[in-house]
Amino acid sequence: MTNTTKPVAIREFPVEEFPETHYLNATKGLKSWMLTLDHKRIGLMYLASVIFFFFVGGLLALALRLELWEPAQNFMDAETYNRVFTLHGAVMIFLFIIPSIPAALGNIFLPVMLGAKDVAFPRLNLASFYIYLGGAMFTLYSMAHGGIDTGWTFYTPYSTNSGSAVISMTFGVFIMGFSSILTGVNFITTVHKMRAPGQTWGKLPLFVWSLYATGVIQVLATPVLAITLLLLIMERTLGIGIFDPALGGDPVLFQHFFWFYSHPAVYIMIVPGFGIISELISTFSRKVIFGYWAVALSSLAIAFIGFLVWGHHMFTSGQSELSTVVFSFLTFFVGLPTGIKIMNWVATMYRGSIWLATPMLYAIEFLFLFTIGGLTGIMLGALSVDIHLHDTYYVVAHFHYVMMGGTVFAFLGGLHYWWPKFTGKMYNETLAKIASVILFIGFNMTFLPQFVMGSQGMPRRYFGYLEQFQTLHQYSTVGSWILGVGFLLVAYYLIVSLVKGAKAPSNPWGGRSLEWMTSSPMPAHNFEHVPVVIHGPYDHHQPIAEFRMGIDAPHHDTTHA
Amino acid sequence: MSGHHIIPMKFLLGTAGALFVLTALTVAVHYIHIPAPFNIIVAIGIAVLKASLVAMFFMGLFWDKKINTIALMLSVVFFVLMVGVTMLDTMFRDKPFGIYDKAPAPPATTSAAP
Amino acid sequence: MSHTDSMSANAHVQHHFVDSEQQFDSAKLGMWLFLVTEVLFFGGLFVAYIVYRAWNPELFTLAATQLDTVMGGINTLVLIGSSLTMALAIRYAQLNDAKKSFWMLGATIAAALVFMVIKYFEYTHKFHLGIFPGEAYTFTGIDHPKAHIFFSIYYMMTGLHGIHVLIGIGLIGWLMVKTKRGAFSAEYYTPVEITGLYWHLVDLIWIFLFPLLYLID
Repeated sequence: MTNTTKPVAIREFPVEEFPETHYLNATKGLKSWMLTLDHKRIGLMYLASVIFFFFVGGLLALALRLELWEPAQNFMDAETYNRVFTLHGAVMIFLFIIPSIPAALGNIFLPVMLGAKDVAFPRLNLASFYIYLGGAMFTLYSMAHGGIDTGWTFYTPYSTNSGSAVISMTFGVFIMGFSSILTGVNFITTVHKMRAPGQTWGKLPLFVWSLYATGVIQVLATPVLAITLLLLIMERTLGIGIFDPALGGDPVLFQHFFWFYSHPAVYIMIVPGFGIISELISTFSRKVIFGYWAVALSSLAIAFIGFLVWGHHMFTSGQSELSTVVFSFLTFFVGLPTGIKIMNWVATMYRGSIWLATPMLYAIEFLFLFTIGGLTGIMLGALSVDIHLHDTYYVVAHFHYVMMGGTVFAFLGGLHYWWPKFTGKMYNETLAKIASVILFIGFNMTFLPQFVMGSQGMPRRYFGYLEQFQTLHQYSTVGSWILGVGFLLVAYYLIVSLVKGAKAPSNPWGGRSLEWMTSSPMPAHNFEHVPVVIHGPYDHHQPIAEFRMGIDAPHHDTTHA
Repeated sequence: MSGHHIIPMKFLLGTAGALFVLTALTVAVHYIHIPAPFNIIVAIGIAVLKASLVAMFFMGLFWDKKINTIALMLSVVFFVLMVGVTMLDTMFRDKPFGIYDKAPAPPATTSAAP
Repeated sequence: MSHTDSMSANAHVQHHFVDSEQQFDSAKLGMWLFLVTEVLFFGGLFVAYIVYRAWNPELFTLAATQLDTVMGGINTLVLIGSSLTMALAIRYAQLNDAKKSFWMLGATIAAALVFMVIKYFEYTHKFHLGIFPGEAYTFTGIDHPKAHIFFSIYYMMTGLHGIHVLIGIGLIGWLMVKTKRGAFSAEYYTPVEITGLYWHLVDLIWIFLFPLLYLID
């Protein structure tokens, strides 16, 4: 490429506060939303769908907890219970948590943070949304037609024989895989090719780094899920015999295939959450993030190591002793980059001027909950301990601490952080803080008892249980109600904010990355100028005017960095 | 290097020629019957060589931006990891080394058993 | 850069890209990332193949005798030829020779159709013998309890590959229509380029399938 760039003049572009036209009202009508190529609108549509499915999955969870109020049958029979927990898992994982942060918040903010006008492939972006909806339809269809009782893991041979709607469910997940792949391809390409002038890899916001690492996992792991589910569908329709022991196949091989995707997928769920926490902690501590490169590269390290540890889900499956030992050993390595992140976040807060706004409250709660989830994960990774704890409520508590205490709290933090930016409205700060604390209490009340039950031998997925566990189960159920109240409160004040919230300024939190250097809500093409980046995204010590630089030319014709 | 490289005719024809020859070779080798592990090694070796030719010259990676090559190599690396780590199980399933059946320390005879 | 920056030459640049170069590079990287997913998609089947072959080496030697090396070999040559014509189609598009590009795309489709016809004969011959995938397998010529698994893997691999060939035929047909309408030039031939990448990958996978399935001794 020729690098004979003419010297370009840059100047500050003041941000227009409370703009009349923005991406939400630039064009009108249902069609302008259904066929939009604007990444922000697609992200909003994703956000609405994801929240809807979180609501569905949450209702299922409440039903499960209510059933467990008594040791014997309460209000649903065992078969229904099996279907409800399968559906709770599948909806929460495939319909909520995997698309939650990347496809909703990531879609809205990745291009803005890069100073780009859109993602690299806007049409694929829209396609990915409709593919996701198509997959969701299949899931709802299988819910209506008998449901599915295999658990979200679809283990063979049960899934090849169970008389439930396995085919439509797995086909739905297969379809949603494509949506996930398209998002990953889009994000990686966008980060590589669409960065604003001056935005080097060392000046990328850490949320972008985490989405990049997530994209890498999505691209490398999701196709293996696709082939696994395709083989499972073939196993059910044609009896190809690869996974079904009755036909000479090997069910443990299915678990290898499944977890080669599903373990890295755990990092698809949590790594974007890490990115949000990095943004929150730096912004609300008013400090440069401690160890930028360590935090950025640890995301990639997690992405890589995450591919080598899948067998720790299979310690009791009958896989070879050699691989159990190797997997247990490798599993501990995941703790390293994760620990690096926690340490760096805490070091960032140290001596910062901490502003305990709602997003920061969520970030701090995240630190508590995720650390508990992570440390119990280390215990489960230890081979000898896992033999005892495998398939008990200890595991259930562990992954809820990581996924809900981690990802959902990070998601809520990000939602509150960026809410003023993409809606243009402020929410009620007092109610938000109260809700956050209610959620924190409810969460711990729900899941802490499950660690105790698990270590005492309460198996997961059981419909009935011994009476000795009843007190703890009831604590947990009451906790789930508190959680429900907390989420209702969040929904309430966010809706109020949409209807009559105060108008949001362009930079309510004093952030330094590019999304705060444009109006709230953003203009249809994010920036009216070509932004130029000269400082890092967390350089709170630099004057804010220097973060609002852009190319001083009516018609830009410069080459991209 | 630009992605817009126009691949010279001699590279295209040469690559196709080499691929034809290698195909003939791999079939010929099949009929010679090389003994056990080496037949697979030779067959896969020729296939990898052919695949590299296609990727470098037909797909233009030889002239292209490095990132595209990195992407392809990444897929190969993760495929190899998937095969290798899965085989740690499938190849050693009937070769336990007794991590589970270490005899527990014999109970002290003087213990106060009820 | 070889192309001019006049407005007409840049009509294909979408609003969110700075220039044609950025759009082209993005499209290409996006396609390569998609090919990565393809490699790992087929990779899963290769893992199944490798695991079962390592478990039952004698089965694979026996079962491979039912596959026709000549037909497989011809198909290999046909696909390599189609890769060459595809590469030539890109080259002619880059040289602004839409007519030759069109005919090269046509030749690629012709080769792909030959491939599918040969595949059809291979499949029907096996069906005739009772070699079906999975539980429908009734062939008794191979004395091995897991013979059906080999053919399940065979049908999954070649079947998925065949579907990719069919998709390729569709894409290349669409390119022919666009070429005929004069949509491509030295400034803009991105669809030809990235469809070419896809087509070469289909060839690349067959390059591995052929020795692994047909040439076992």
